[in-house]
Amino acid sequence: MRSRGIYPFYFIIAVLVLYLTFFIIPSLSGIYFSFTDWSSYSDEINFIGFENFEKILSPDENYLGYIWNTFLFTFWTIILKTVFGLALALLLNEGVKRFVNGYRVLIYLPVVLPYLVVALIFRSILHPGNGLLNTFLHDIGLGALALPWLIDPRIAMYSVIGVDSWKGIGYIMVILLAGLQTIPKDYYEAAQIDGANAWHRFRYITIPMLMPALMIVTVLNVLYGLRVFDIIYALTNGGPGYATEVLSTEIFKAFSKGQFGLGTAVASILFVILVIAGYFVIRLMERQPDRQ
Amino acid sequence: MTFTKTTGLLRTGTAKALLLAGASALAFASFAGTGLAADLTLTYMASQDWVKDAEQALAKKFEEQTGIAVDFQIIPSDQYFNVLQTKLNSGEGPDLFGGQSGVTDLKLQYNVEKNAVDLSGEPWASRQDPLVSAQATVNGKLYGLTYWDVLGNSWVLNYNKKIFADNGLEVPTTYDAFKATCQALLDAGIQPIYEPVADGWHHVLWFPELGPRYEEVAPGLADLLNANEAKFEGNETMLAAVSQLNELYELGCMGQNALADVFTDSTKVIAGGQAAMTLNNTGFAALTENDYPEMKASDIGVFVMPLADNQMLNLNPAGPTHFIYSGSPNIEQAKQFLAFLAQPENVQYFVENTPAAMTLPFEGAPSKFAPEVQALFDAHKDARGTVYQTAVNYVNPQWMDIGKDLTAMFTDAIQPEDVLKNIDKRRADLAKAAKDPAWQ
Repeated sequence: MRSRGIYPFYFIIAVLVLYLTFFIIPSLSGIYFSFTDWSSYSDEINFIGFENFEKILSPDENYLGYIWNTFLFTFWTIILKTVFGLALALLLNEGVKRFVNGYRVLIYLPVVLPYLVVALIFRSILHPGNGLLNTFLHDIGLGALALPWLIDPRIAMYSVIGVDSWKGIGYIMVILLAGLQTIPKDYYEAAQIDGANAWHRFRYITIPMLMPALMIVTVLNVLYGLRVFDIIYALTNGGPGYATEVLSTEIFKAFSKGQFGLGTAVASILFVILVIAGYFVIRLMERQPDRQ
Repeated sequence: MTFTKTTGLLRTGTAKALLLAGASALAFASFAGTGLAADLTLTYMASQDWVKDAEQALAKKFEEQTGIAVDFQIIPSDQYFNVLQTKLNSGEGPDLFGGQSGVTDLKLQYNVEKNAVDLSGEPWASRQDPLVSAQATVNGKLYGLTYWDVLGNSWVLNYNKKIFADNGLEVPTTYDAFKATCQALLDAGIQPIYEPVADGWHHVLWFPELGPRYEEVAPGLADLLNANEAKFEGNETMLAAVSQLNELYELGCMGQNALADVFTDSTKVIAGGQAAMTLNNTGFAALTENDYPEMKASDIGVFVMPLADNQMLNLNPAGPTHFIYSGSPNIEQAKQFLAFLAQPENVQYFVENTPAAMTLPFEGAPSKFAPEVQALFDAHKDARGTVYQTAVNYVNPQWMDIGKDLTAMFTDAIQPEDVLKNIDKRRADLAKAAKDPAWQ
């Protein structure tokens, strides 16, 4: 009986070969190339040791700032998407009674829009002179709040975070909504009979029961945030100056300038960050107590 | 696998048959058109848009006169360099090929010393504009005929004459006068300069386009920079130019929203009188009238960028150029064709029949420039020079990076000195990657 449930090893060979060819070998060669001076300007590729990494980690370069920006983006998008996604999920799970499906579709809609479209729309909305947002703020007498959203280096990153969160909240909401709907109603009824108020029910039933879904959205947000590219490239192209530059935009720029060795070195650093972040998040998930 | 191969063969076969049919049809059409059997056919390979209708008409005329036909092989621009490189490397180059001039490109991209024929002794060589010839010359030998309006694309300050007149302003010739002009306009509530920084490339023009001024202050600087014997950092003229650009931004001369402004709005802004000046090319006035007929081209004047007290006219004399392939069996006939193109009456025909060309870089060539622009060119006949993105290696490839640095400078993230320091750093990186002996 046992042997019927186990497939022979050779079943996996084809998949392993594909995985090795298209994932493992390119990844390893990417790491190898990060130790070379490979560029589009010369046919020769020479091993140069840690020179690319020294350059990236040197205080004379801006790369440490790009790493910081990547973390900043990741941190704030996780907070915003999770908090607002959860709030909307709670609202649509219990709070709103009419047109629930209509609201769900509306909130999910930004997710299906391409990043380029979203960025073009928001570049227009956030234009400091004639953008919709600042015009609206001026019209209602709140001109003091009309800021140079995308062109002031102190706030540009937060504007990008805001736009990205607006686009991503719907996705997070759907996952959390699915999680909320798996929580048995009996727990809430029992708690209510015991005298638990709304906050207690949320704190001691909803949050613990929703933890697996929250962990999934955190993992997704961490991985997305660290690899972010599209929205920044299309909205600010890393500017003004270098204010919103992140690791992925820098990898793209190094490659487009033909500095392949340097580009793969930045990509290798991002890879290491992703592995470390992924490891800790998965460890955290494993430590979660069983819902039952 | 067999299926794919067969399909591939079929496809290749079909493609060849189609090509053959096309070529036959063209050959037939060519014979039918002229009624004269060509003695010889020269092949000329060029990127899309490099061959204008007028040049094809001239080639027909050339064929009628000499019996030598010219077969234009036009390749889509994104594939052109790969196709050309393959042909040159395999020793099967066309009789003539097109290429972008510029000393660095001639050496790195086309290796003209190996692949092209020395044209220094050709009758037209002395009539080609010396600045233009310099960009088609390697080690003292001229390799190309630049049949392109490279001179009509200078970036100059275009200004609204009416606004200037209403405010009693004159064309500034020094930086201090320029700053005073901007201040007077600001005091009158008019945005002095429309500077579209958002595009990332336009505001860079203010710096390398001043190459002739840097060269005027320190003759031979471009050569020293190319030999890695000089640096941008520490050059006082360059530092003055960058610092003054920063000062103009900080004074508000470019408006409050320069970082969000885009190049495509330039004609609208100037035609609408929302700003008094903008840095644009010499065809801007005509373009503005075309877009907004209520604004006449004659209402827009031009003057050179006065940063660092510049009074030199900036030219970018590099552009699509004709080369003769060194392995061609028809070198003499190809030379004959280039000499034909450069004849004054044919130059005139080309300029008159090519809307995009204001002139050609040959002595005595006709000009279609607006009187204002022509006056500027005439006034700077002996005061002009080559812009630094063409004269100095490894500047053009970092154009957008310089743009980022300048924006960072506008937002106080870095200082003007850092902009120059970063240019040196990136030049060193690029030169090292290219294994440039001057940086080894």
